[in-house]
Amino acid sequence: MLSLKKRGALSMQISNFARGFFDSSSPLVPVALPSQRETHIWYIVPDEVQNTSLLNQYLKLLSSCERESMFRMSGDKLQKSSLLARTLVRTTLSRYTNCQITPRSFKFRKNTFGKPEIEWGHYEEWSPPALHFNVSHTSSLIACGVTVDKLVGVDVEEKQRKIKNDILSFARRYFSLHEVEHLHAILDPEIQRQEFIKLWTLKEAYVKALGRGFSAAPFKTFTIRFRATRSDGLQVPTDLISEASEILVEAFDDPKSLSNNWQFGLLELANSHYAAICMEKENILEGKGNDFMKLKVWKTLPFVEDEYVSGTNAVKIICGLSQCLHL
Amino acid sequence: MATVYATSVKFASSLKHSVGDYKLTGRTSTLRLVSMNWTKNGFPSLRSSRFRVCCAAKPETVQKVCDIVRKQLALSPESALTPESKFSDLGADSLDTVEIVMGLEEEFGINVEEDSSQNITTVQEAADLIEKLVQKKSEA
Repeated sequence: MLSLKKRGALSMQISNFARGFFDSSSPLVPVALPSQRETHIWYIVPDEVQNTSLLNQYLKLLSSCERESMFRMSGDKLQKSSLLARTLVRTTLSRYTNCQITPRSFKFRKNTFGKPEIEWGHYEEWSPPALHFNVSHTSSLIACGVTVDKLVGVDVEEKQRKIKNDILSFARRYFSLHEVEHLHAILDPEIQRQEFIKLWTLKEAYVKALGRGFSAAPFKTFTIRFRATRSDGLQVPTDLISEASEILVEAFDDPKSLSNNWQFGLLELANSHYAAICMEKENILEGKGNDFMKLKVWKTLPFVEDEYVSGTNAVKIICGLSQCLHL
Repeated sequence: MATVYATSVKFASSLKHSVGDYKLTGRTSTLRLVSMNWTKNGFPSLRSSRFRVCCAAKPETVQKVCDIVRKQLALSPESALTPESKFSDLGADSLDTVEIVMGLEEEFGINVEEDSSQNITTVQEAADLIEKLVQKKSEA
């Protein structure tokens, strides 16, 4: 299926037919680093990756540890997903080093809390950028967020995801009182389910940004709040996330560590998923206006094609973000 | 016995070195290493982290946990599910794990603390924790 896309000089348009016969080893396109208030998202759609020789090419990028993890997964689909997730991380990060560090040569370690981070080597005439990244997967989409200098957490969920338990029971068990009230106020079960998923992704993104693991920030110990700016400039709480201009977090045991440290963005990705991004915020002087997180999004099939999708239907901002429409 | 030990070490290293030839065939590799210890008498004793003398959960509990996991993760009837199966290897994300824990709480009438739910990564761990909590509840 062909459609008009924006593309860099080095990426190619290849029909599905030709892909089977083509040694798809076009080099990775390097990308400029995100600026201070910017998050970059790269995503891949597993169902669109069928070419076995391409998958075997990706397999060569993984460390032996990653390969072992991958083969422990139960079944072809999960193994492929694991392979694509590691491929996405390695190829994405390589782009931000101007491809000087190849995808295969990246090393990773876990921080004291278990969050994966890059372990840079020693380079003679080059200082590695202070890259932060976070990956999220669903069976139908894998996303990797990248920032410079700022902690970041990303979570994606299928819009259509069905919750097996009763939503309000689940929320009462795991969410804050404020969030339960927020969901309880929604009468339409389908909208309630959607708001639940959005809340879940926001909470997950926060925990992942903190990087201390689920047990260090149980969901009940913090709440997500939404604020809208009225036409008279006053900021008021609001019931629907879509009307909010700002998403905030409040940690109950540490009320000072509020929204001041973290900012959130929420979007619809590829028409199929909700994606939440949580990023560390710079210290902002009192009185400065709402500067939303800037966002750039690419859809990728590494070594084959990259598509900058910001400003297209693939990216629909819900809240808290401004898009860079041009690269 | 020493031969067994040598074979298991060789197997592990050959797995790592042949990884360049690894092709995607849909094969899952499982490698279990059992550590052999030489006792004072010179006879090897078998020591495995899976060896439990007591405190293992009842088979019915394990079965119920398996059923809940199967349902939550929509596993096909053919997919292998053993007590040692890790939820993450079965494709469970954090929302699935929380839903599984909630399903278990409802099925067994227990309450799992959030920090304990972090430690539930396999069917066996879930079953063991359930039995512990059910017993605590009956003693209360």
